[in-house]
Amino acid sequence: MPRKPVKAARKTPPRGRKSASPARGGKRRRYSAIAGLALLALFAIYLGYLNHLINARFEGGAWALPSRVYARALEIYPGATLTRDELIYELELSSYLRVDRQPLPGEYRLLGASLELHSPPFVFSDQHQPARLVQVFFDTKGVIGVTDSSSTGDLAVFRLPPLMLGSYYPQSGEDRLLLAEEELPEQLVATLIAVEDRAFFEHAGVSPLAILRALWANLKAGKTVQGGSTLTQQLAKNLFLTPEKSLLRKINEAFMALLLELRFSKQTIITAYVNEVFLLQQNRISIHGFARASRMLFGRAVNRLETQQLALLVGMVKGPTRYNPLSSPELALERRNLVLKVMFDQGLLDQQQLDRALAAPLGVARHLPSVNPFPAYLDLVKRQLQISYTSDELSRRGLRVFTAFDPLLQQNLERGLARGLARFDQAELQAAVVIADYLNGDIQALVGDRVTDFPGFNRALMAQRPIGSLIKPLLLYSLLHGDLTLAGVVQDEPIRIKQSNGEIWEPRNYDRKLHGKTTLYDAFVNSYNLPFIWLGVNSGGIEALTQNLDRIKLLKHDVVFPSILLGTTEMSAFEVAQMYQVIANDGYFAPLTTIRTVTDQANRTLTRVPLESLKLFDRARMIQVQRAMIGVSEQGTARYLAERFGERTLAGKTGTTDDLRDSWFAGFSDRLLTVVWLGRDDNAPIHLTGSSGALRVWADIMELQGFEAFKLNSDDSLAWHYIDALDGGISQQGCANSVLLPLPKDRIPLRRSPCK
Amino acid sequence: MQVIQSANHLSRLAVFVLLLIGSACQLPEPVPDNRYQRTADDNASAVPTASQPVRQLHNQALAAINEDQYALASDYLQRAIKIEPRNGWSWYYLADIHWRQGQFERCRSMLERADAYAQGDARLAAANADLRAQCQ
Repeated sequence: MPRKPVKAARKTPPRGRKSASPARGGKRRRYSAIAGLALLALFAIYLGYLNHLINARFEGGAWALPSRVYARALEIYPGATLTRDELIYELELSSYLRVDRQPLPGEYRLLGASLELHSPPFVFSDQHQPARLVQVFFDTKGVIGVTDSSSTGDLAVFRLPPLMLGSYYPQSGEDRLLLAEEELPEQLVATLIAVEDRAFFEHAGVSPLAILRALWANLKAGKTVQGGSTLTQQLAKNLFLTPEKSLLRKINEAFMALLLELRFSKQTIITAYVNEVFLLQQNRISIHGFARASRMLFGRAVNRLETQQLALLVGMVKGPTRYNPLSSPELALERRNLVLKVMFDQGLLDQQQLDRALAAPLGVARHLPSVNPFPAYLDLVKRQLQISYTSDELSRRGLRVFTAFDPLLQQNLERGLARGLARFDQAELQAAVVIADYLNGDIQALVGDRVTDFPGFNRALMAQRPIGSLIKPLLLYSLLHGDLTLAGVVQDEPIRIKQSNGEIWEPRNYDRKLHGKTTLYDAFVNSYNLPFIWLGVNSGGIEALTQNLDRIKLLKHDVVFPSILLGTTEMSAFEVAQMYQVIANDGYFAPLTTIRTVTDQANRTLTRVPLESLKLFDRARMIQVQRAMIGVSEQGTARYLAERFGERTLAGKTGTTDDLRDSWFAGFSDRLLTVVWLGRDDNAPIHLTGSSGALRVWADIMELQGFEAFKLNSDDSLAWHYIDALDGGISQQGCANSVLLPLPKDRIPLRRSPCK
Repeated sequence: MQVIQSANHLSRLAVFVLLLIGSACQLPEPVPDNRYQRTADDNASAVPTASQPVRQLHNQALAAINEDQYALASDYLQRAIKIEPRNGWSWYYLADIHWRQGQFERCRSMLERADAYAQGDARLAAANADLRAQCQ
């Protein structure tokens, strides 16, 4: 160690230079040299350590980037059932600003009955779309024309860049968008340098002159009024050091700044600064970098900011909390104007530009866009992503996840649910709703709590509840083989079943009544239990149902009890939606998914979820099930739909569980499958049936959404006949109880029923 | 008739062997040299309900298929299906893409959907039948 010889030398009596022997003098020089070398080595190790920190953080993947989740891209084309209000809602949600002049990217304006929007450039998973100025024309039904304002040409279809509906953040809670060197707006760089570090291009990381100037100013004021840090020092502090004010930290900062300047170009350093600097806080998320802050505050890309907006952001660098324009608008305005005057002094603005910028309001959003306004949907996306990606990848790699989320549908779902729940006056009543496009399996909207933006327990996925009569469509499918058809006669009579444990099970109908002889169609439409249990036990229905549940991966237990025929099996609303997807889709299975494509930052496709359509069930039999479900909505337990929506055909099924603990309705229109569950977390009775509870909420949602009638497809093996719904004989149009049913061509009843 | 069947068997066997060799040599999978000469507009008369956006997306999909960009073509077709889910041609073109990639089961599944929406469209029904024969 170098100190020992030094101390040892001090212990010896002092001697005059002249009297020192040449041997001792040489020894001392040697010690000094060794001490100097050791200090040098220590310093080199110290610099090496700083350099290692810089390597670890500054080079290659310097920042953990949150993954972005995008909604579906809205397709705008003549004939689209999209109203102007709906488009405005979508634009506002995406932070477009409404203006009265020709819109810049990220803005729109209303022109009579049309709307002109300027979409910013966007990299879709399949192509790069430049910024486009587009005019959309409407009539009362929807879009009647789309033109490209720059070319005045008609567009067959225009794809609006999708809403970013959320992000998965790194543990640091930092959110940022990165700008590449070539993307830095010149005015931003010039303003930053003018305000924060005018000698940036001259100094080598540290500016002694600036430090002396700051020292003098601080001494004069008796407190810290001016900092002497260069932009490079600020960057070093932000990247590597704590905010503590100590001499050691300042020394580290200075050496790191020197190292940064030694190793990287000025352009690289200023780019890193622009991406790193902290500017806003939103709950637990800190917003770093000008690009993200610009999006959050102004809803537009940083290269599209107006002068005064840019000045505000640069002004916020000095004190992001103090000059926050949302919480301290007056201070922020004062600071912005100061920056504008500096810009003028430095020749970045002329007098006219200065006057105009000073006169402009702050122009920031009324509130920052919510970090996670759709927690249940994002939760499902994350669960599906975690099949292929680790949590670390999701929160650090800056993935771009393109989903099927439909903000317009979600809005209607949330409003419809609120309206529906208001009917019941039950504070403890909880809800879960899933809406899917059953043709391709896209989950388009979802809520997992009656408070739809509450990021808590996601009931749509996690709440496993008995499904009651929602099992009946798949049970009906399982029974429609052999000779049994919808016109088949069944008995609604008491039944006693001895179970494997010796207990006797005596199931009953929900209305506690017996209805005698009737058709399978009528029993289904009115949700009678007893005929289904009898058929299930005596016609192999349990085995067939078990197999069919297994086909769609919804068989929960290896041991199956007869009570499965009454829907004692537990499912989440999401799982029910998967079961009904295959029913609504003629027996074709499309796995329910939120994700369509995942790309990395460089837009390389990492995951592509292809459109699946696997034939798992017989199409003709499924069409018969669908017909019976239409009967439910026209004449049966869901006839409320016919009363409310008239001729617009819907298909569905109600579900109620013991003691009125769960209220279900699952139904579909021409495209949409919607599943609603109502119940309580403590499983207490809610005193609502499927019909009096979930069905009403379902109808409220569908009314807001608007829908086309469900249309049955045809199948060559089926023939349509009027059947007497009570005795199963051939009937005629207009006769009492006659219903038009699809029947297998080789099983048409021979018997004719008298026309009543 | 038997001669034709034998020839078919032989050609299938040849393709299978080529695929095996190709995969063993890590070469790109052979793709049937079958380019679309027509555009979706040629099918327009047979698809009176096809809207302009769907026809445009079909044309873009066919152009992508001709350049062997099957993923891109699928994207176009999925967009078309979102706009007009019951347009059988979208499903037919998807089936065709699966056939080109050797995914015959998926090809048949898509053809069943195409068939379901082919009511009254003789040209689509015939195209479906042709492709089905090749997807076995």
